[in-house]
Amino acid sequence: MDHPSSPPSPAASSVLGSVAFGEPSGTSAESSLDSGLIDPTLGDDGRLSRWMGWRLRLLVVAALVGCVALLATARWLAAQPHIPADWRVGAQGEIELARADDPPLKAFEGKALVGLLNDSGQVAILDGLALQRSPRWIVRDAQRERHLDQHQQVAAVMGGNSVRLFFLGGRQVEMALQPRGLAQLGAMFWLLSAMSLTLYLVAMVVLLAKPSMRNLLYTVASLCQAGNLACMAVESTLQLGLPLGFLRADLPLRLAFDLVTGAAVVHAAFPAGRRRPGTHSRAWMAWAPALLLAVLGAVGALSGVWWWAQAGVTALGLAALGLLTWSYRREPHPFATVMRRFGVMTISTWVLLSIALAAGHRLPAVQQQLANIGPAIWYLFFASLLLLIPFMSKSQQVMREFSLLAAVSTIATSLDLLFVAVFSLGQFASVTLALFLSLGIYSGARQWILNQLLGSSVLTTERMFEKLYRMAREVETHPERASELLMQLLRELFDPMEAVVVEKATRGVRVAGDGSTLLVPVPQLPGHADALPVSVVLRFAHRGRRLFTSEDARLAERILEQLRRAVAFDKAVEQGRSEERLRIAQDLHDDIGARLLTLMYKAQSPEMEEYVRHTLQDLKTLTRGLAAPNHPLSHAAAEWKADLTQRLNAAHIELGWNLSFDRDVSLTVVQWSALTRVMRELASNVIAHANARRVDIEFHLLQDRLELTITDNGSGRNPQAWAHGLGLGGVRKRVKQLGGEVEWKEAGPVGIRCRVTIRQLSERR
Amino acid sequence: MQAAQTLTRPGMAIKVLIVEDNPVARSFLCRVVRESFSDTIAITEAGDLESARRHIGLPDKQKVEAATDPFKLILVDLELPDGNGMELLAELARYPATKIVTTLYSDDDHLFPALQCGADGYLLKEDRFEVLVEELQKIVRGQPPLSPAIARRLLGHFRQGAGGVSGLSEPGSSGFQSSRPMPLGRGAPLDHERLTPRESEVLTYLSKGFTIKEIANLMGIKWFTVNDHIKSIYKKLNVSSRAEAAVLASKQGLV
Repeated sequence: MDHPSSPPSPAASSVLGSVAFGEPSGTSAESSLDSGLIDPTLGDDGRLSRWMGWRLRLLVVAALVGCVALLATARWLAAQPHIPADWRVGAQGEIELARADDPPLKAFEGKALVGLLNDSGQVAILDGLALQRSPRWIVRDAQRERHLDQHQQVAAVMGGNSVRLFFLGGRQVEMALQPRGLAQLGAMFWLLSAMSLTLYLVAMVVLLAKPSMRNLLYTVASLCQAGNLACMAVESTLQLGLPLGFLRADLPLRLAFDLVTGAAVVHAAFPAGRRRPGTHSRAWMAWAPALLLAVLGAVGALSGVWWWAQAGVTALGLAALGLLTWSYRREPHPFATVMRRFGVMTISTWVLLSIALAAGHRLPAVQQQLANIGPAIWYLFFASLLLLIPFMSKSQQVMREFSLLAAVSTIATSLDLLFVAVFSLGQFASVTLALFLSLGIYSGARQWILNQLLGSSVLTTERMFEKLYRMAREVETHPERASELLMQLLRELFDPMEAVVVEKATRGVRVAGDGSTLLVPVPQLPGHADALPVSVVLRFAHRGRRLFTSEDARLAERILEQLRRAVAFDKAVEQGRSEERLRIAQDLHDDIGARLLTLMYKAQSPEMEEYVRHTLQDLKTLTRGLAAPNHPLSHAAAEWKADLTQRLNAAHIELGWNLSFDRDVSLTVVQWSALTRVMRELASNVIAHANARRVDIEFHLLQDRLELTITDNGSGRNPQAWAHGLGLGGVRKRVKQLGGEVEWKEAGPVGIRCRVTIRQLSERR
Repeated sequence: MQAAQTLTRPGMAIKVLIVEDNPVARSFLCRVVRESFSDTIAITEAGDLESARRHIGLPDKQKVEAATDPFKLILVDLELPDGNGMELLAELARYPATKIVTTLYSDDDHLFPALQCGADGYLLKEDRFEVLVEELQKIVRGQPPLSPAIARRLLGHFRQGAGGVSGLSEPGSSGFQSSRPMPLGRGAPLDHERLTPRESEVLTYLSKGFTIKEIANLMGIKWFTVNDHIKSIYKKLNVSSRAEAAVLASKQGLV
C-alpha cells in the first residue's frame, strides 16, 4: 500500500493545483491572456514553502486518518465469525460448496447447501441470492428484501458458538465458528482498499494544493468513488453473510455516492469562466434532483430504486456531456474535449452495464455474477479516470494508452456480460467472442483515436529544421526580434489559439494550467545579454483540441537549445571571419602599403607617381573596408567631403557639396568602397583633365533611390568620344556592382555632368 | 606655396629628429622638412625607437624634462621595427618639441590614440610633396588637421566624461582599465576636461565634413577663431589623456 505522504514537487503541485473538469480555471473570455493564470505559474518560488506549512500537516493528518480507518475496518471484518469455505451459485440458483479445507467439510464439495442451524435452535434457509454482494445492484425490490432477510437469518445463526450445515439430501455437518483473521480477508479486499485509499489521498492533495470550487468538486467526486471502492472492498469478503449493520447502510450509501458524484461532475462541467449571473445557482440546480433521489432511495420511498438510480446517474452524465459540448463551442479548451471523450466512454459503459443487468433477469445465476463483477470493473475504471485527471498533462503518452486499454477492457467485459445475459451463450464462447470483438475495435480504432488525440503534426521535421536555422540567422542580425521569431516558430509548431510575449522570466520550458498553457523562456542570446527576461506564452495547443504535455515541453526545450547553439555557432563563424579579414587587411596595408610607398617615392615621372598614389589609396580603401563591417552614410559622407575638399582645394578647384538623405542607412563594405572609389575617381578625372574652377556634387538618397551628380565647369565636351580608360571603366564597373547606371553628359554651356543612379540601394547588399 | 616658416631665432641651426625605418621615406621626409622651413636645419635620422631614444637622450625609457639642446621638431613613424611610435610619444610627453606622427594609416583608430599620446598633428605619407610641405607648415603654425572621423572620436571622448579611459579603450581594445591613480582628480570634470559650447559646435561641424572656412561662415566668427578652438581642443585632449595615454602606450605595443 503506497500513499504519497511526501508533498509533490512545485511543478506537480501547479498542475494538481488547478484541476478542472471542463474549463480553464478562472479565465475571462475577453482578455487575450489572463494574467491571473500566468502569474502563479510564472513565479511560484513561494509555493514550496507554503506547501511545507499547514497544508502538508493537514495532508499527513488526512493520510493517517485514511490508514487508521482502513485498518479499523480490516480488524472489524477479521473479527467476524467465519466458516472456512468458499461458496458459489449453482445452476438452479442454489448455493454450492466450491472449496473447503476442513476434512469433514471437504467431502461435501459440489453439494448444494440448504440451510444453517445453530446450537440455540436458530435456522437460516438460504439460496443463491445470499451470495449477491451488494443490495445496490439487485435489480428488483422484492429480491432486495429477500436478500436482506436471508442475511438477517445468517447473522442470527452465526451469533452462536457452532453451526450445523444442512446439505441437499439431508446430510449435515457440524462446524465450530471462529473469528476470520486478517489473513482470510482475501486479495480483492486489500486491492480495492488500496485503490480507495489512493483515490482518497489524491483527492486530498488536489484540494489542499489549491482550495477552489472546482477542486472541491473534484474532491467530492473522488471521495464518493473512494467510498464506493471501500464498500466494494468490504463486500468482497462476503461468504455466507455480511455484517448486518453494513448491509443496511450499503444501499443508501452507494446510492448517495453515485448520485453525488454525478451532481459534482455536472456542476464542474458548468462553464465557470463566464461569471454570468445565475450560472452558479443553475449549477446548484443539478444537486437538487440528485440529493432528492438519494434521500428517497435511502428511506425506501421509491419502488424500483435500482431503475431510478441508473436513470438518475445516466441523466446526470448526459447533462455533463451536453454542458461540456456547449462550453467547448463557446470557448474551445482542450480540457473540455478530453473530458468529453472520457465522459462518452464512461456513460456508454454505464448504460451498457445497466442494460445487461436488466436483461439478465431470466437467468438469476448469470445476473448475480454480472451484478458482482460488472459494477466492480466499471467503478475501477471510473476511479482510475479520476486518478488520472490531475496528471493529465504530465504525460499524454501514458494517459492515451491507459485510457485506450481501460476503455477496451471495459467494453470487452461489458460485451462478455451482455452476450452471457442476452444471448445465453456459454461462458467460454461469450468471452472469446467479446475478446475478438474488442480487439478488433481496438486495432481498428487505435490509429484513428491517436490521430484525434495527437492532431496531425503541423510542421514536418525537415521544415522545422530549416525554419530553425533561418531563424538563427535572422536572430543574429536582429537580436531584438528574437522573441517575435521564436513565437512565430512555436506558433507553427503547436498551432495554439493564443501566443503572447510577456516580460517575465521563466525557469525552463514549463507546462501550466492543466496543460492548457506552455511557457517558453526566450533564451538570452549571445550579444544581446542585457535584454529583459522575456517569455513566450502559448495557450490551447492545436486550436484548443490538444493539451500541452511534458513531451511538448521537452521538444520546445530542445528547440531552444538548438537555437542557442545555432546562434552561437554563427556568431563564432562571423567573429572568425572578421578576425581573419582584419588580419588580411593589416597584412596588406603593412606590407604592400610600405612597398607601394617606396615605389611612389622612387617614381620616375609625376604620372607614375600619381598612378602609384592612386593604387595606394585604393589599397587603403580596400583594407579599411575589410576592417570595418559597415559605415553609416552620414559618417562616410563627412569623410568624402573632407577628402574631396582637401584634394580639390590643393588643385585650386572650388567644391559645391549638397547632400541629403531621408534615412541614415548603414552602408555595407561593398557599397562604401564602391561609392568612395567612384567619387574619388570622378574627382580625379576633373582635376586631371577638366581644367575646371568649380565642381558641384549632389548626393541624394530618397526612398532607397540614390542619385549622385558631379558637375564641373571645365573644358570637357562630347563625352561619347572619350577614350574609356581605366578610370571611367572602373566607375562603370563599380556602379554596375551596386545595381545602378552611370552616364556622362554635357552640362550647359561648359563642363560635363556625370550622373549615377541606383534605384534600389538596399537591394544588393 | 607658403613662405618658409621660421622655427627659432635666426642664425642658429635648429634640430629636427626624423624617426622612420624606410630609408627612401626618410630621405623624402627630410626633403619635406628642408623645403618647409627657411632656417638652418640639422636633421637627425633614426631607423628605430632605440636609436631615437639614444639621440634624444632618454636612457632606458627614463623620462627627462629637457636635454641641454633639445630637438624642436620630431617626426615619428607609427610602425617601427622595434615597437610603436606611440611609445616614444608617450615618453616624450613633457618634451618641448613639436611632435608629428607620419603614417600610412589615415583612420581614426590609429591616429586618435597618437593624438592622445601628445602628437601635435599627423602627416599622411602618401600625400604629394607639396601637400605635405603645406600640412607640416600648418601644424607648426598651430593649425593641426582634424578629419571628420577624428572629430567624431573627440566628441565621443569628451562626452563620455572627459579624462575617462573610455575614449581610449573604444572601440578596439575593450575593458582596458588604468590601475594607476589619476593625477588630475576624478570627481567633477575640470575645465581642461570639458569642451566649451563653442568648441563642441566646431567639433560637430568638423565631424560632418565642413572645412574651417565653412564653419567660420556658419558660426559667424573669424577663420582664426575657429582655428583657435581647434588648437584648444587639441590641448585639452592632450592634457586630459596624457596619463592614460602613457599607460596605454606602454601596455600595448600597437593599437
